[in-house]
Amino acid sequence: MNVAIDVNAREDVPAWLAYGTPVFTVLAALAVSAVALQLLDVNPLAAYATMFVETLTTEFGLTETLVKAVPLILTGLAVYLPLKAGLFNIGAEGQLIAGALAGTWVGLNVSLPGLALVPLMFAAAAVAGAVWAGIPAWLRAKWDVNEIITSLLLTFVALEIQSYLLRGPMQGGTGNFPQSARFSDAATIPELYSGVHAGLLVALAMVVVTYVMMTRTRLGFEITFVGSNHEAAQQAGMSRYKVYLLVFVVGGAFAAMGGISEIAGAQGRYRAAFEPGYGFTAIPIALLGRNSAVKVLLAGLFFAVLFVGGSSMEVAFGVPAALVEIIQALVILFLITAEFFKNYRVSLDFDRGPSGAAVEPQGGDD
Amino acid sequence: MSENTTLRMEGILKEFPGVVANDHVDLSVERGEIHGLLGENGAGKSTLMKILYGLYSQDDGEIYFQGERLDLESPQDAIDAGIGMVHQHFMLIPRLTVAENVVLGEREPATVFREDAGEESWLPASIRNNGLVQSLAGTFSLGLDVPEQRIQELADRYGFDIDVSAKIWELDVGQQQRVEILKALYRDVDLLILDEPTAVLTPTEAERLFESLERLTDEGLSIIFITHKLKEVDAVVDRVTVLREGKNVGTAEVSSVTRADLAEMMVGREVLFEIDREAVDLGEPVLRARGVSAEDDRGIEALSGVDLTVRQGEVVGIAGVSGNGQKELAEVMAGIRDPTAGELVVGGTDITGAKPKRFVENGVSFVPEDRLRYGCAEDLSVMHNATMKDFGGAAFGDRGFLDYGKLESYAETLVDEFDVRGVRDVTETAAGDLSGGNLQKLILAREIYRNPDLLIANQPTRGVDVGAIEFIRETLLEQRKEGTGIILLSEDLDEIFDLSDRILVVYEGEFVHETTPAEADRERIGLEMTGGSGGESASDPTATHAEVTQESES
Amino acid sequence: MVSFLAGLLDATVQAATVLLLAGLGELISERAGVLNLGVEGMMLVGALGGFIVTVVTGSYWLGFAAGIVLGMVLALVHAFLCITLKSNQVISGVMLTLLGTGITTFFGSAWVEESIDGFPQIAIPVLVDIPVVGEAFFRSTATDYLALFMVVVVWYFLNHSNLGLEMISVGEDPEMADTMGVSVFRLRYLAVLIGGGFAGAAGAHLSLAFSQLWVPGMTAGRGWIAVALVIFAQWRPRRMLVGAYLFGLLDALQLRSQSLSLTLGPDAPLASLINPVVEFLMTPQIMGTYPYLATIVVLAYAVIRTKSDRLAVPSALLQSYSRETD
Repeated sequence: MNVAIDVNAREDVPAWLAYGTPVFTVLAALAVSAVALQLLDVNPLAAYATMFVETLTTEFGLTETLVKAVPLILTGLAVYLPLKAGLFNIGAEGQLIAGALAGTWVGLNVSLPGLALVPLMFAAAAVAGAVWAGIPAWLRAKWDVNEIITSLLLTFVALEIQSYLLRGPMQGGTGNFPQSARFSDAATIPELYSGVHAGLLVALAMVVVTYVMMTRTRLGFEITFVGSNHEAAQQAGMSRYKVYLLVFVVGGAFAAMGGISEIAGAQGRYRAAFEPGYGFTAIPIALLGRNSAVKVLLAGLFFAVLFVGGSSMEVAFGVPAALVEIIQALVILFLITAEFFKNYRVSLDFDRGPSGAAVEPQGGDD
Repeated sequence: MSENTTLRMEGILKEFPGVVANDHVDLSVERGEIHGLLGENGAGKSTLMKILYGLYSQDDGEIYFQGERLDLESPQDAIDAGIGMVHQHFMLIPRLTVAENVVLGEREPATVFREDAGEESWLPASIRNNGLVQSLAGTFSLGLDVPEQRIQELADRYGFDIDVSAKIWELDVGQQQRVEILKALYRDVDLLILDEPTAVLTPTEAERLFESLERLTDEGLSIIFITHKLKEVDAVVDRVTVLREGKNVGTAEVSSVTRADLAEMMVGREVLFEIDREAVDLGEPVLRARGVSAEDDRGIEALSGVDLTVRQGEVVGIAGVSGNGQKELAEVMAGIRDPTAGELVVGGTDITGAKPKRFVENGVSFVPEDRLRYGCAEDLSVMHNATMKDFGGAAFGDRGFLDYGKLESYAETLVDEFDVRGVRDVTETAAGDLSGGNLQKLILAREIYRNPDLLIANQPTRGVDVGAIEFIRETLLEQRKEGTGIILLSEDLDEIFDLSDRILVVYEGEFVHETTPAEADRERIGLEMTGGSGGESASDPTATHAEVTQESES
Repeated sequence: MVSFLAGLLDATVQAATVLLLAGLGELISERAGVLNLGVEGMMLVGALGGFIVTVVTGSYWLGFAAGIVLGMVLALVHAFLCITLKSNQVISGVMLTLLGTGITTFFGSAWVEESIDGFPQIAIPVLVDIPVVGEAFFRSTATDYLALFMVVVVWYFLNHSNLGLEMISVGEDPEMADTMGVSVFRLRYLAVLIGGGFAGAAGAHLSLAFSQLWVPGMTAGRGWIAVALVIFAQWRPRRMLVGAYLFGLLDALQLRSQSLSLTLGPDAPLASLINPVVEFLMTPQIMGTYPYLATIVVLAYAVIRTKSDRLAVPSALLQSYSRETD
């Protein structure tokens, strides 16, 4: 008996596959991670209960989630927007750091009342992030130099610069620790409620801005079109150059604002060890929220829950929070695999051999 | 069937969705001959040869080569059987040398391990002949000395001027093509297929190629030469088979037919539709192009100083076989390719070298030949594609904002008026889901609805079903009445005749003939399309083909 | 001064080995057309796996072998996703780095306390006595020597073997290779697996020879530097050697730049202008940016110059391949 695996391109994506994918992906990732937990003798259900239930039902859990969500949503947008134009911004982490550094510098060195200072910090951050993203964008738009590599490498450059600045020119506070001085009240982002700071408003505002831009403006139309077929777009008079630059620059600004809001809102001072990895988590966030800024928001919230839950799980069970990284990675893994099943139908053909009768049950999907 | 027949293809049938590419085609080639395969694009020449080369498998029919029945499942099988192919688009790796490109896949081991090494190897023959040793040596070593010698010998024998250790990117196009030929010769092919080999060559290079081909056949190699240029058929082909619309319409000795005969066989006399064309008063020129030259993607000149004027309400039909500069002409007029010389004035404004956006703003519309590549974004909705050029217009929103509701209704209007079928919902159905005909109607709708001053339609009915073809042609005529100047490029002569006010024939980047449908002689046009008269001013269709090799290029 | 130089060279050699091993593997993968951004994750997996096996069995070579195998396991996932499922190579690679980092941090915390002696150093007689450079170059672990040897092997493989030629062809023009009877799938799978094996080896060397311990995240970005190194070396094995030593030197200098003063004496002309600049350029972290900046410059150069036929980047890099069937 022969089993042949037949792969055929699909013409239509069944609705349940299209909408269910994010949900299945997450469930699958959690299921596989459960194995890892089991290997460390931790009951997965108990661990997940702590992770999700506790986070979502306690005040502390919820406020922490909202705090964590701010940079995640913003970096998520930073990857999402270039993705709509067909580009990969892998360097969101670097843009986040550039923004954090610039905003911090302004916050520590410019004396203005808080009402003016904080917005100025955000503006400085946005500019820094825009520039940091503009370099790979320009190289790609003008010379077709791969933006993946250049933006990624610039991330590491940013990390080194961060280390330098916080041990050197920007070092401050008592003692000789590699960190900045503590932010004054004026430079601190005002608190909304119990630890949740106004950065959340910025994040939400940027979601709205992005959503409106993509769904209700000419620019959004152009970005969508260039992302789908830039040759046809150019034939129609659209400018690939302009679009490529724009999405990266705006994305960089978003990531940068995420950076400064984390420092000036949650941390209170800039420590040289700041390497949150939000810029990389932003990748699965953007992939999950592929079609809409609102979905990016939801994905960002979900991952925030994961992060916060991961910490409490670590405390409760003594299990490293690195599990969250594993879950993240698995989400991406299952997303890519699901992508394949969305585009191709896999079926199994059973050939009964000598009897000549070929039986073809359709296995796989659909 | 003579004893000298080396290849016999019998009753080859090959179908693709919606079209029969090869309709029970027979082909026979004799040993040592150069056999031409002539036909327009879409006639089935490429498909037939891809079957022979193992890239496609036929739906029905048999292939016999050198007396044996062949069952080809891959190019490797074809090579093993002794059939080689030189593709139009070279398959060479620029970074590697000639020798490396030629031996790729042959697993030539280092000289020490060669089975035929004899004196050069210190390894005893018993070890060398061992199967495992051969396999390992072939995988983990690479001996170029002996192959390079052999390749150089082959090259010298046939007059190819090539340094086998040169890197491909260092060679010019003609030399690269010869490397392609060497790839086949190295593998001891007995039949060589050449797919439109002169498409990328200068006339001098083409001559040299022909000389080489004759030397090859002197040694017993058989050659199938695919072309659409009658001049070449005369120059180098012994016998020629003409394909038209998937069928073999005849085989002849070149010495006993005229070009006119061949042109007629290629182009046919069928008339598909009778269309009423009213006379329309011509207005001001909407396009004045002077001395326009342009290069193709490879950097070779494709347009040589053409002049073109199109008036309001005039349809100028450009007839010609694909590959003679039409694509570049269309792209230059539409603004997506920069001319290397000349000027373009649209409606009084000089827009030579301007960005596509300026062309769009100046009332130029374009229906491209490759609709999936340049004409639409297939993953996006019908609505997106319908408004691709006009979304910036004031009608769709204030300042930066876009009213998608208006976009939607615009798209729906287009879909209704232009009979675009298969659209469930303009915002959900993707352009790529539409059939070829309906997608083309959508694109045409988009380009026409904006009431352009100049419309360039490149192969507007290619790959389109019969019902849509009629609709598209009528739409073009309607637009003509509205005063749009239309440049129609088409390989379908009937279409040109039915729709044009004026006909220009393009050949190798120049307009070689101008006429009107009333005065035109179809055979003459067919001849000009294939370079038939090449300099002869007499329009005598019975002129014989002799003295071909002395003709000069104009 | 002499001891400083000797120490510097020693550190350079050690740093270079890690980069060489990881980089050579990535080079092979990329020459075949598959970008592997999961090197960092594969190195970590090799480091932890190798460490665990060594602690448990007491054999360094078994640990080293385990590291290679584990790197290949992760690479198999990458190969399956990118080659069979034709997924995006970038996403798959980054995902594997995340996965490798996550898994090793998660399971590795139990092994942080352990310590081993590490691969024994082997001195090459006579050569080791050469002043200054002798100790650095000729008293090293077996894996250090292996890395150097692999440069030759990889160079030979790519340039003088049919398998290497076919691998290159698959990364330049898979369609052409397919027509010539070369199996694109098989060769790409092989290349990716080799790349993973090398990365795992690099990681194992890190934990078994370089540091002789295990710490979560101990690769500290070396995987990324290896990726940058391949680009910097323009995908040529011999340039990898030069590049690895260059980057390794930068790495070693970073830690030692404080004790090195290259500044001019205060009386020298333009001292007040030059000295601060030099000091700035010699700051450890600023020096840390040099490999990345140099790579960006080299990449831009290679791509821009490609337009005039200086083809360095494998043409089919990042492109999935499927034979167009009728």
